[in-house]
Amino acid sequence: MDADTREGAKGMQMSGRGAGKLGRVGFGLAAAGITAILVVHWMMAFWVPTEAAQGVVQRIFYIHVPAAWTTFVAVGLAALASLAFLWLEDERWDATAVAAAEGALVFGAIMLLTGPLWGRIAWGTYWTWEPRLTLTLLMWFMYVGYFLVRESVASPARARRFASVVAVIGSLNIPLIHVSPDWFPSLHPQAVVIKPDGPDLPADMLITLLTSLAGFTMLFFGLFTLRYAIIILHRQRRIGAPSRLATGH
Amino acid sequence: MTSLRWIGLIAMKDLRQEFRSGGRVIAMLAFAVLACFLFSFSLDRSRVDGLDVAAGLLWLTVLFSSIAGAGRTFDAEEDDGAFRHLLLAPVSRHAIYLGKTVANLVLVCLVAALAAAALTIFFGIAEPGSAAHHASVLFPGAIGLAAAGTFFGLISRHSTLGDSLLPVLTLPVLAPLISLGATASSRVFLGRPWAEIGGSVRLLWAIAIGLVVVGSLLFRYITEE
Amino acid sequence: MTLAGRALVCRYGPTRAVDGVDVDAAGNEVLAVFGPNGAGKTTLLKALSGERMPDEGQVLLDGRAVSGADPGWRARLGLVSHRTGLYLRLTVAENLRFFAAMYGLTAGSRAAVEALETVGAQDLAPVRTEALSRGQRQRVALARSLMHDPDILFLDEPFTGLDPAGAASLEAVLLARKSPGRIVVLVTHDLSRGLRLADRIMVMRRGRKVLEGRAGRFDAEGLLARFTEDPGEVA
Repeated sequence: MDADTREGAKGMQMSGRGAGKLGRVGFGLAAAGITAILVVHWMMAFWVPTEAAQGVVQRIFYIHVPAAWTTFVAVGLAALASLAFLWLEDERWDATAVAAAEGALVFGAIMLLTGPLWGRIAWGTYWTWEPRLTLTLLMWFMYVGYFLVRESVASPARARRFASVVAVIGSLNIPLIHVSPDWFPSLHPQAVVIKPDGPDLPADMLITLLTSLAGFTMLFFGLFTLRYAIIILHRQRRIGAPSRLATGH
Repeated sequence: MTSLRWIGLIAMKDLRQEFRSGGRVIAMLAFAVLACFLFSFSLDRSRVDGLDVAAGLLWLTVLFSSIAGAGRTFDAEEDDGAFRHLLLAPVSRHAIYLGKTVANLVLVCLVAALAAAALTIFFGIAEPGSAAHHASVLFPGAIGLAAAGTFFGLISRHSTLGDSLLPVLTLPVLAPLISLGATASSRVFLGRPWAEIGGSVRLLWAIAIGLVVVGSLLFRYITEE
Repeated sequence: MTLAGRALVCRYGPTRAVDGVDVDAAGNEVLAVFGPNGAGKTTLLKALSGERMPDEGQVLLDGRAVSGADPGWRARLGLVSHRTGLYLRLTVAENLRFFAAMYGLTAGSRAAVEALETVGAQDLAPVRTEALSRGQRQRVALARSLMHDPDILFLDEPFTGLDPAGAASLEAVLLARKSPGRIVVLVTHDLSRGLRLADRIMVMRRGRKVLEGRAGRFDAEGLLARFTEDPGEVA
C-alpha cells in the first residue's frame, strides 16, 4: 500500500491484492451460480414433473421466484448499506449499496419480465393491479431513480448521500410487499415453502426450486462482490491521482 | 414550543414571498384549471359519466400540479444564497423541513379546492357529494403530497436533470396515497356514507404521517454539503 | 478565545479542496485567508464554521471540539458572504425580523432596528430587498449577520460588488467590533484590503497552507508572488 492510498478517502483503504482476491471470490461465486442455473434449466426441461393444475407454464416458477427472492435480498442489502453509509459516512458502505442496487435492478427486471409471462397463462392477463405486483414495480422504479440521482447530481458527496436517501425510502415498502398477499385479496400465491407446517411442495419440485434459489443467490453475490471490488479500485485510482499532483511528488 | 414557532415563521416567510410574487401560486392554479378543462373534453362524455372518472382525475390533477410546484420550493432560498444562512442559524433541520412543508401544504390545498370545483363544473356534476367529506379525504392526501414534494424538491434542485427528476422520485412514493385517495374520493362523489370512507381516510393519514416523519428524519442528510 | 482547525481535510470527490490545513485564529484579531481562486479558502471557512463537516481533522474552540451539528455552536457564528443571503421578495425589516427570530432574539423588531443603525441603513427598513442596490443589500446583510452579536464572524469575499463607501463602512464596523471575546475570519483574494484589516494572515494554494504570520510583516506585492510559486518549495 503506498502513501496515496493510505491517505485516501475514509474507508477506501484496500490494497490491489485485496481487491484482486475479492474479484476472484466474486468470479468463482458467479461461475458457480451460472452453473447451478444451467442445471436448473435442464431440470426444468427434462426432470421435474409438470404441475397438475397449471401445466407447463408453472415451470417459469423456478426462475420467477428465485429472481424475486434475489431482488429482495439485493434491495434489503442496498437499503441497509445506504443507511449505514448515512450514519457512518464510510464510503465502503456506499460502494456496497451501489453494487447491491445494480443487482436489484437486474434481478428485478428478470422478476418483472417473467411474472407477466406466467400471469398471462395462469391468470389470463399480463398485468393485474394487485398490491404485491404494483408495490414491487414502484420499488423497482425507485431504484431507477437511485441511479438517476447518482448520475445527475454534480457534487459526488451530495450524489452519494441523496442516492442513499432514495435507496432507504425505496425499501420502506418491502415489509408491505411481503405481507400484501396475506392482508389484501390477491391473485398472488400464498407462501408455499417457508411456512409453519413445513413446505407443501412435492420433493422434486422443492429440489428444483432450492437449486435455483441457490444458483440465483450465488450469482447475485458473485456479481455483487465483483462490482464492489471494481468500484473500490475505481475510486482509489481517482482519489490517488490528484493527491499525488497536489503533494508535488 | 420553539420548534413550533420556527415552523410557523418559516412557513409564513415562504407564503408571504409566494403570494407577493404570485408566480408559483398562479402557475399551479392555472395548471389545475387547464388540466380539468382538457380532461373534460378529451373524454367522450356521451360514453363516460363524469361521476365515474372525476375522483381519479381530481387526484391526478392535484398530484401533477403539486409536483410542478414542488420543484420551485427552494427557489426563493437561492435567489441570493439565503438557504446557507438559514442552515447556519441555530434552527433544527426538522423545523426547516416542516416549515417549508406547511407552506407547500397551503398551496396544495388551494390547488385541491380549485381542482375539485373546476371538475364539478366542467363535468356538470349536479351532486358532487359532501364537501366536508371531500375535504377530509383530500387533506391527508395534500399533507403527503407536500411532504414528498418538499423533500424531493430539494434533491432535484441539485440535479442536472432538474424538474424532470421529480416525477421519477415522487410518483413511486406517492402512488399508494393517490390510489387510496382516488378510491375514497370516488365514494364521496357517489354520496356513500362515511362508514365506507373512514377506513381509507385512516390509511391516508397513516401514509401522510409516515411521509412527514421519514422526510424530517432524512432531511438533514440532504442539506449537508 | 481561540479558534483552531487541526489537520483539516475536505474532499470534493477526487479533489482535496482542503488538504491537511492547520489554522489558528484568536480573539481581538482578524485572520485573513488569502489565495488564488480555487485555493480552498471558502471550503476552509465552511469547515471552520461547521457548514461542511471536514472529512478529517477537527475544529476546536478554546481547545474543545465543536461541530456544525450543534445549534449552540451555530448560534455564536455570523457570516457575511458575497451573496447577501437575504430573501429578495421580503422587505428589509421582514428579513431582519425573520432572522432575529431564527436566532431566538426575543425583541426581534428592536434588534433589527439597532442592527440597521449600526450599519447606517435605518431608512431602508420598509423597502423590499429586491429594490435595493448591491451596496445597500450588502449593508443589510451585514446588519443581519451582526444582529445576534456573534462571537465569531466569518467573512467570505465580503467586498465583492461593494462600492468604495460600502467597503469603507464594512471596514469601520469590523474594526469597531474588535474585542478579546470576538474572532473575525476573513477570506478574500483582495490583498490590499485584507492586509489593512488583518492582524494575522495565511495564504492557501491548492488546498494547502503555504504561508502564515503577522500581517505587518508582509506587503501586497510580496504576497502576490507567493500566489504563483510552487507550494512544494515553500512548504
